[in-house]
Amino acid sequence: MADPLLMDRMFQRIMRGLVETGRAPHYAEAARALGISVEEGRRVLHDVMQAYPIGWLHPDTDYIASFPPLNNQPTQYRITVRGAQRWFAQCGFEATSVTWLFPGETVRVDAPCLDCGDPVTVEMRDGRIVWVDPPGVVGHLNYGFGPSRGRPPFL
Amino acid sequence: MNLFRSEEHARRWPAFQPRAEEGFITLADLAGFFGTETRRHMLDPDYLSTWYPRRTAERRAYLEQINKRSPFWLGTPDP
Repeated sequence: MADPLLMDRMFQRIMRGLVETGRAPHYAEAARALGISVEEGRRVLHDVMQAYPIGWLHPDTDYIASFPPLNNQPTQYRITVRGAQRWFAQCGFEATSVTWLFPGETVRVDAPCLDCGDPVTVEMRDGRIVWVDPPGVVGHLNYGFGPSRGRPPFL
Repeated sequence: MNLFRSEEHARRWPAFQPRAEEGFITLADLAGFFGTETRRHMLDPDYLSTWYPRRTAERRAYLEQINKRSPFWLGTPDP
Protein backbone atom coordinates (compact mmCIF):
# COMPACT_ATOMS: atom_id res chain seq x y z
CA MET A 1 0.00 0.00 0.00
CA ALA A 2 1.29 3.43 -0.95
CA ASP A 3 2.15 6.18 1.50
CA PRO A 4 -1.09 7.51 3.06
CA LEU A 5 -0.20 11.11 2.22
CA LEU A 6 0.33 10.19 -1.41
CA MET A 7 -2.96 8.30 -1.46
CA ASP A 8 -4.72 11.33 -0.01
CA ARG A 9 -3.20 13.47 -2.74
CA MET A 10 -4.26 11.01 -5.46
CA PHE A 11 -7.76 10.86 -4.02
CA GLN A 12 -8.06 14.63 -4.11
CA ARG A 13 -6.60 14.81 -7.61
CA ILE A 14 -9.36 12.45 -8.80
CA MET A 15 -12.19 14.04 -6.82
CA ARG A 16 -11.26 17.58 -7.72
CA GLY A 17 -10.69 16.59 -11.34
CA LEU A 18 -14.21 15.22 -11.43
CA VAL A 19 -15.64 18.33 -9.79
CA GLU A 20 -13.76 20.71 -12.06
CA THR A 21 -14.28 18.96 -15.39
CA GLY A 22 -16.92 16.26 -14.95
CA ARG A 23 -14.35 13.59 -15.79
CA ALA A 24 -11.86 11.69 -13.69
CA PRO A 25 -8.22 12.07 -14.74
CA HIS A 26 -6.32 9.13 -16.18
CA TYR A 27 -3.65 7.84 -13.80
CA ALA A 28 -0.92 9.11 -16.11
CA GLU A 29 -2.34 12.64 -15.89
CA ALA A 30 -2.73 12.36 -12.14
CA ALA A 31 0.83 11.05 -11.83
CA ARG A 32 2.20 14.08 -13.61
CA ALA A 33 0.22 16.40 -11.35
CA LEU A 34 1.54 14.59 -8.28
CA GLY A 35 5.15 14.53 -9.48
CA ILE A 36 5.45 10.74 -9.57
CA SER A 37 6.15 8.29 -12.37
CA VAL A 38 3.35 7.01 -14.56
CA GLU A 39 3.71 3.48 -13.23
CA GLU A 40 3.72 4.70 -9.64
CA GLY A 41 0.56 6.63 -10.49
CA ARG A 42 -1.09 3.47 -11.71
CA ARG A 43 -0.15 1.61 -8.54
CA VAL A 44 -1.33 4.43 -6.30
CA LEU A 45 -4.63 4.57 -8.21
CA HIS A 46 -5.21 0.89 -7.44
CA ASP A 47 -4.32 1.45 -3.80
CA VAL A 48 -6.78 4.33 -3.60
CA MET A 49 -9.56 2.25 -5.13
CA GLN A 50 -8.83 -0.53 -2.66
CA ALA A 51 -9.06 1.95 0.20
CA TYR A 52 -12.24 3.48 -1.25
CA PRO A 53 -14.19 0.37 -2.27
CA ILE A 54 -17.46 2.21 -2.79
CA GLY A 55 -15.93 3.27 -6.11
CA TRP A 56 -14.59 0.97 -8.80
CA LEU A 57 -12.52 0.67 -11.94
CA HIS A 58 -14.03 -0.64 -15.14
CA PRO A 59 -13.36 -4.41 -15.00
CA ASP A 60 -9.92 -5.47 -16.21
CA THR A 61 -8.81 -1.91 -16.86
CA ASP A 62 -7.17 1.00 -15.06
CA TYR A 63 -10.05 3.30 -15.98
CA ILE A 64 -12.06 4.90 -13.20
CA ALA A 65 -15.73 4.05 -13.71
CA SER A 66 -17.16 5.23 -10.42
CA PHE A 67 -15.82 7.54 -7.77
CA PRO A 68 -18.76 8.39 -5.55
CA PRO A 69 -20.66 10.45 -5.20
CA LEU A 70 -19.84 11.13 -8.87
CA ASN A 71 -19.55 8.66 -11.72
CA ASN A 72 -17.13 8.79 -14.59
CA GLN A 73 -19.36 6.47 -16.58
CA PRO A 74 -22.70 8.12 -17.37
CA THR A 75 -25.72 7.09 -15.34
CA GLN A 76 -29.32 8.25 -15.43
CA TYR A 77 -28.56 10.68 -12.57
CA ARG A 78 -27.54 13.85 -14.35
CA ILE A 79 -26.10 16.65 -12.27
CA THR A 80 -26.33 20.30 -13.24
CA VAL A 81 -24.47 23.15 -11.53
CA ARG A 82 -24.45 26.79 -12.68
CA GLY A 83 -26.52 25.78 -15.70
CA ALA A 84 -24.01 23.19 -16.92
CA GLN A 85 -24.94 19.51 -17.00
CA ARG A 86 -21.45 18.11 -16.78
CA TRP A 87 -21.66 15.43 -14.08
CA PHE A 88 -23.31 12.13 -13.24
CA ALA A 89 -24.00 10.69 -9.80
CA GLN A 90 -23.18 7.08 -9.02
CA CYS A 91 -26.77 6.36 -8.02
CA GLY A 92 -29.89 8.04 -6.73
CA PHE A 93 -28.69 7.91 -3.14
CA GLU A 94 -25.24 9.31 -3.87
CA ALA A 95 -26.91 12.02 -5.94
CA THR A 96 -28.05 13.61 -2.67
CA SER A 97 -24.43 13.84 -1.54
CA VAL A 98 -23.14 15.73 -4.57
CA THR A 99 -24.26 18.97 -2.93
CA TRP A 100 -21.26 18.73 -0.60
CA LEU A 101 -18.87 18.96 -3.56
CA PHE A 102 -20.27 22.32 -4.64
CA PRO A 103 -20.54 24.52 -1.56
CA GLY A 104 -22.72 27.57 -1.99
CA GLU A 105 -24.11 26.32 -5.31
CA THR A 106 -27.49 24.92 -6.27
CA VAL A 107 -27.02 21.33 -7.42
CA ARG A 108 -29.78 19.92 -9.60
CA VAL A 109 -30.37 16.19 -10.03
CA ASP A 110 -32.43 15.07 -13.02
CA ALA A 111 -33.29 11.46 -13.63
CA PRO A 112 -35.97 9.47 -15.43
CA CYS A 113 -38.18 7.38 -13.18
CA LEU A 114 -37.32 3.72 -13.87
CA ASP A 115 -41.01 2.84 -13.89
CA CYS A 116 -42.47 5.38 -16.29
CA GLY A 117 -39.57 7.42 -17.65
CA ASP A 118 -41.10 10.66 -16.46
CA PRO A 119 -38.70 13.10 -14.83
CA VAL A 120 -37.58 13.16 -11.22
CA THR A 121 -35.94 16.42 -10.18
CA VAL A 122 -34.28 17.38 -6.92
CA GLU A 123 -32.39 20.58 -6.22
CA MET A 124 -30.13 20.95 -3.19
CA ARG A 125 -27.96 23.69 -1.80
CA ASP A 126 -25.42 23.10 0.97
CA GLY A 127 -27.20 19.91 1.95
CA ARG A 128 -30.71 21.39 2.03
CA ILE A 129 -33.42 20.25 -0.35
CA VAL A 130 -34.71 23.38 -2.07
CA TRP A 131 -36.90 21.90 -4.82
CA VAL A 132 -38.46 18.50 -5.51
CA ASP A 133 -40.62 17.52 -8.45
CA PRO A 134 -42.87 15.64 -8.09
CA PRO A 135 -43.30 16.17 -4.35
CA GLY A 136 -43.61 12.42 -3.66
CA VAL A 137 -40.08 11.50 -4.77
CA VAL A 138 -38.67 8.64 -2.66
CA GLY A 139 -35.42 6.75 -2.41
CA HIS A 140 -35.44 3.01 -2.81
CA LEU A 141 -32.86 0.37 -1.90
CA ASN A 142 -33.58 -2.75 -3.90
CA TYR A 143 -31.13 -5.35 -2.59
CA GLY A 144 -30.14 -4.18 0.86
CA PHE A 145 -26.70 -3.20 2.01
CA GLY A 146 -23.90 -5.63 2.68
CA PRO A 147 -21.99 -8.26 0.74
CA SER A 148 -24.35 -10.99 1.92
CA ARG A 149 -27.00 -9.63 -0.42
CA GLY A 150 -24.94 -10.84 -3.37
CA ARG A 151 -25.75 -7.94 -5.67
CA PRO A 152 -23.91 -4.71 -6.38
CA PRO A 153 -24.71 -2.27 -3.61
CA PHE A 154 -25.47 0.54 -6.01
CA LEU A 155 -28.63 -1.14 -7.39
CA MET B 1 -30.25 2.74 -5.07
CA ASN B 2 -32.68 4.79 -7.03
CA LEU B 3 -35.06 7.71 -6.90
CA PHE B 4 -38.65 7.15 -7.99
CA ARG B 5 -41.57 9.52 -8.48
CA SER B 6 -43.40 7.72 -5.67
CA GLU B 7 -43.53 4.39 -3.84
CA GLU B 8 -46.16 3.18 -6.30
CA HIS B 9 -43.80 3.83 -9.18
CA ALA B 10 -41.06 1.85 -7.45
CA ARG B 11 -43.38 -1.10 -6.87
CA ARG B 12 -44.28 -1.15 -10.56
CA TRP B 13 -40.61 -1.27 -11.57
CA PRO B 14 -40.06 -4.70 -13.16
CA ALA B 15 -36.82 -5.19 -11.19
CA PHE B 16 -38.48 -4.45 -7.82
CA GLN B 17 -37.48 -7.14 -5.33
CA PRO B 18 -40.24 -8.43 -3.01
CA ARG B 19 -37.99 -7.99 0.00
CA ALA B 20 -37.33 -4.41 -0.98
CA GLU B 21 -40.69 -3.36 0.38
CA GLU B 22 -38.58 -2.30 3.36
CA GLY B 23 -36.18 -0.42 1.07
CA PHE B 24 -38.02 2.89 0.94
CA ILE B 25 -36.52 6.04 2.44
CA THR B 26 -37.92 9.54 2.37
CA LEU B 27 -35.96 12.14 0.46
CA ALA B 28 -35.35 14.11 3.65
CA ASP B 29 -33.96 11.04 5.43
CA LEU B 30 -31.88 10.21 2.38
CA ALA B 31 -30.38 13.68 2.31
CA GLY B 32 -29.53 13.27 5.99
CA PHE B 33 -28.08 9.80 5.44
CA PHE B 34 -25.81 11.08 2.68
CA GLY B 35 -25.12 14.35 4.42
CA THR B 36 -23.52 13.13 7.62
CA GLU B 37 -20.35 14.75 8.90
CA THR B 38 -17.80 12.84 6.84
CA ARG B 39 -19.61 13.72 3.61
CA ARG B 40 -18.93 17.36 4.28
CA HIS B 41 -15.19 16.77 4.08
CA MET B 42 -14.88 15.07 0.71
CA LEU B 43 -12.75 17.95 -0.58
CA ASP B 44 -10.46 18.02 2.47
CA PRO B 45 -6.84 17.03 1.77
CA ASP B 46 -7.03 14.22 4.35
CA TYR B 47 -10.47 12.87 3.44
CA LEU B 48 -9.31 9.37 2.50
CA SER B 49 -7.05 8.85 5.52
CA THR B 50 -9.01 10.72 8.17
CA TRP B 51 -12.68 11.04 7.25
CA TYR B 52 -13.56 8.07 5.07
CA PRO B 53 -12.68 5.49 7.76
CA ARG B 54 -15.34 7.06 10.02
CA ARG B 55 -18.07 6.65 7.43
CA THR B 56 -19.31 3.16 8.30
CA ALA B 57 -19.96 3.89 11.97
CA GLU B 58 -21.52 7.20 11.12
CA ARG B 59 -23.89 5.65 8.58
CA ARG B 60 -24.94 2.95 11.00
CA ALA B 61 -25.68 5.51 13.70
CA TYR B 62 -27.79 7.54 11.30
CA LEU B 63 -29.74 4.50 10.12
CA GLU B 64 -30.49 3.54 13.70
CA GLN B 65 -31.58 7.10 14.39
CA ILE B 66 -34.17 6.94 11.60
CA ASN B 67 -35.24 3.49 12.77
CA LYS B 68 -33.79 1.50 9.92
CA ARG B 69 -32.29 -1.25 12.08
CA SER B 70 -32.95 -4.35 9.97
CA PRO B 71 -30.20 -6.47 8.39
CA PHE B 72 -31.45 -5.19 5.02
CA TRP B 73 -30.36 -1.67 5.91
CA LEU B 74 -27.49 -2.32 8.29
CA GLY B 75 -25.85 -4.86 6.02
CA THR B 76 -25.67 -7.43 8.77
CA PRO B 77 -26.39 -11.16 8.27
CA ASP B 78 -29.99 -12.26 8.40
CA PRO B 79 -30.95 -13.83 11.74
